[in-house]
Amino acid sequence: MSHFTLSRRHVLMSLAAASAMPGATFAQGTAPKAGGTLKISHSTRIATLNVLSLSGPAEYPCIDMLYSGLTRMGLDNQPHADLATEWSANDDATEFTFVLREGVTFHDGTPFTADDVVATYEAILNPDIPSAARSVLTMVESVEAVDDLTVKFVLSAPFADLPYSTAHANARILSRAALEGDLSKLDTTANGTGPFKLETYDTARMVRLVKNDAYYKPDQPYLDAVEMMLFPDLAAETANFLSGETDVMLTVQQADFARIAESAGIEAQQVGSGRYVCVVMRQDQEPWNDVRVRKALGMAVDRQLLVDIILEGLGRPAYDSIVAPELEYATDKPEIAYDPEGARALLAEAGYPDGLKATLVASDRPAIRAQTAIALKQTAAAAGFDLEIKTMPHDTYLAEEWMKGDFYVGYWGMQPTIDATYNLLLTSEASYQDTEWKNAEFDALIAEGRSTVDPELRAEIYAKAQALELEEKPYIVPFFEDVLTASRGTTEEWHVAPISRFYFIEDVWMDKA
Amino acid sequence: MRKILKSPTGLIGTLLLALVLFVTIFGPWITPYDPQAFDARARLEGPSLAHWLGTDQYGRDLLSRLLSGAPATVAFGLGATVLGVGVGSVIGVIAGVAGGRTDSVIMRVLDGMLAMPELLFTLLIVTFLGGGTTQAMLAVAVTFTPGMARISRSAVLSVRTREYVLAAQARGESGAWIVGREVLPNALGPIIVEATIRVSFAIMIGATLGFLGLGAQPPSTEWGLMVAEARQFMFRNPWCVAVPGLAIAVTALGFNLFGDALRDAFDPKRGH
Repeated sequence: MSHFTLSRRHVLMSLAAASAMPGATFAQGTAPKAGGTLKISHSTRIATLNVLSLSGPAEYPCIDMLYSGLTRMGLDNQPHADLATEWSANDDATEFTFVLREGVTFHDGTPFTADDVVATYEAILNPDIPSAARSVLTMVESVEAVDDLTVKFVLSAPFADLPYSTAHANARILSRAALEGDLSKLDTTANGTGPFKLETYDTARMVRLVKNDAYYKPDQPYLDAVEMMLFPDLAAETANFLSGETDVMLTVQQADFARIAESAGIEAQQVGSGRYVCVVMRQDQEPWNDVRVRKALGMAVDRQLLVDIILEGLGRPAYDSIVAPELEYATDKPEIAYDPEGARALLAEAGYPDGLKATLVASDRPAIRAQTAIALKQTAAAAGFDLEIKTMPHDTYLAEEWMKGDFYVGYWGMQPTIDATYNLLLTSEASYQDTEWKNAEFDALIAEGRSTVDPELRAEIYAKAQALELEEKPYIVPFFEDVLTASRGTTEEWHVAPISRFYFIEDVWMDKA
Repeated sequence: MRKILKSPTGLIGTLLLALVLFVTIFGPWITPYDPQAFDARARLEGPSLAHWLGTDQYGRDLLSRLLSGAPATVAFGLGATVLGVGVGSVIGVIAGVAGGRTDSVIMRVLDGMLAMPELLFTLLIVTFLGGGTTQAMLAVAVTFTPGMARISRSAVLSVRTREYVLAAQARGESGAWIVGREVLPNALGPIIVEATIRVSFAIMIGATLGFLGLGAQPPSTEWGLMVAEARQFMFRNPWCVAVPGLAIAVTALGFNLFGDALRDAFDPKRGH
């Protein structure tokens, strides 16, 4: 991990801003061909296009195509220039100035100006509007337009990682007109500055996007159109991909990866990632309010077995921290051995000498959730946990169980920083705080880490926060899953970032004669 | 019984049914392995000496799972049918015996229910009641009710005007006595035949619901659920889909053939 001082960080930032976007270089040296329709298959519904609040795995590529942000995370896990061409901070990182790109227009032809940036960030920070990016931007006190192409962020506390926050997938720039209109229209319409425009939005079948000729990168996007095709049935999705009906499988299931990778004319990619399944235990409810019960469950998980069986080895065991080892300031997590006897003893100590009965809810999408539940039931049985599994369709799960139930299987993608990781789920004010853990000491550490500039001090603070997470065990995290995707050999430059929110589809082209 | 065994369909049906019933009753006692035990080293294997029918994606022994799932699967079919047939025939007998306006009202309501496709109707009820084995069984029973009512009513109608019923009426017997002693025993044949055939439908609908995730919940060994769970691994080990799928087919076939033979045996026109 690199530790730069703030001034060196500035240099790094401007370098990043000046350098070309990742993926814009072509390994084979062949010039990209324009034209073609890229068909991307996915297995989860695109339930909304509301860029402020969406969180679906197939919804992220859509907003990555429809909208642009001030900055954008590259495949290298660093923020790069997007609508902002360069940015600078004052010495104590409490004021950031972003210089905006000239001549950018929204899909409806209206020009993009600093005023739209101000309107967007005011909407994100408005507590009355649901927005997923707010938790990483709470330190922003005010956003003002200096002139048409300059925006100044004033922060209430120092925060060197602001360009990471502005690259949050849900912090994309909307027009002031859209934000002042009916916000429910954002669910089904989109007027962004991204490389593609929305043509058809059919949540049950297909979302079709067409080329935005006015996109700021010259000659890009290369594709004429992108179709996001929904295949609720996994076997059908694979069959359609293998038969050539679709060009890209957004997510490949572990079970099919080897078979797809071996098929001729197909390029399968395995990207190491901090994506994880977590067992949510609501801590304002019996029996999960007792940390001994949570620890016992943690000891009753045979992590290596889960990696071998469920991930088919395409991942690594995790030890009950949602912080991926790749993140800056991540500490080494001690291995938690499978110890059913120890777990049983701990359960008895917590007042459950005869074991514990509980109903574990798992959505059926992706299949890994139910598989984790089944494997967990099996390995935890030896420790006296009698888990009954209840599966349900994903839509039912989202409506009835998620953020409400007391014991269910969650599933999350990787975040770019520790701050973003914890503010997504674990701090009291987190975007999707679903455990009711709410630890004041932890909140204070995260807030302190955020406003600390010195990297060594930050490392120390984040180490404490991670130690607290391990000690209190708000979640069981059995493994980190590699991101698996596949594309047809004729599809060039298809990439998935480890945090799988950014796809750079404007770089993709099809080598079809 | 001898009549049934004489026809080839009857013989095959009886044999299949005997096999299914044997597995249903003794299956869980004779599993070679724990049906839920994982084995990371023996995943998705084809049949071998150690695992006669192979293993599934968790390395669980398929034969053991098949045997342990038999009672749940078959009991589901039997239970749903008994419930549906019971309620349906009572309604049908009431309608048939009462006649007139009562008959018309009951039958029009049931006709309305019959107009809906069986699986769709079941899905509707399960969606309303929530998933789970009991709910699914109730749903199938409700779906079966209108059809059974129709059949029992027609059976009653054909008996109601027979001479022995008229004679009983002439003797001044009570209505209940006539229904219980004269009408029902003679109308029972078609009802039993229909019920037997319906067991196979119930098993298939139950398996379908399990397959759709609305019936039994994992890691239950209900056969429909086994197919659903293994489907993703179909190309890597066809056995994990074929084994429970075939078991469902054999069971359904057994009940169906047996029911057919039963019908032939009851039918005087086909008797020799």
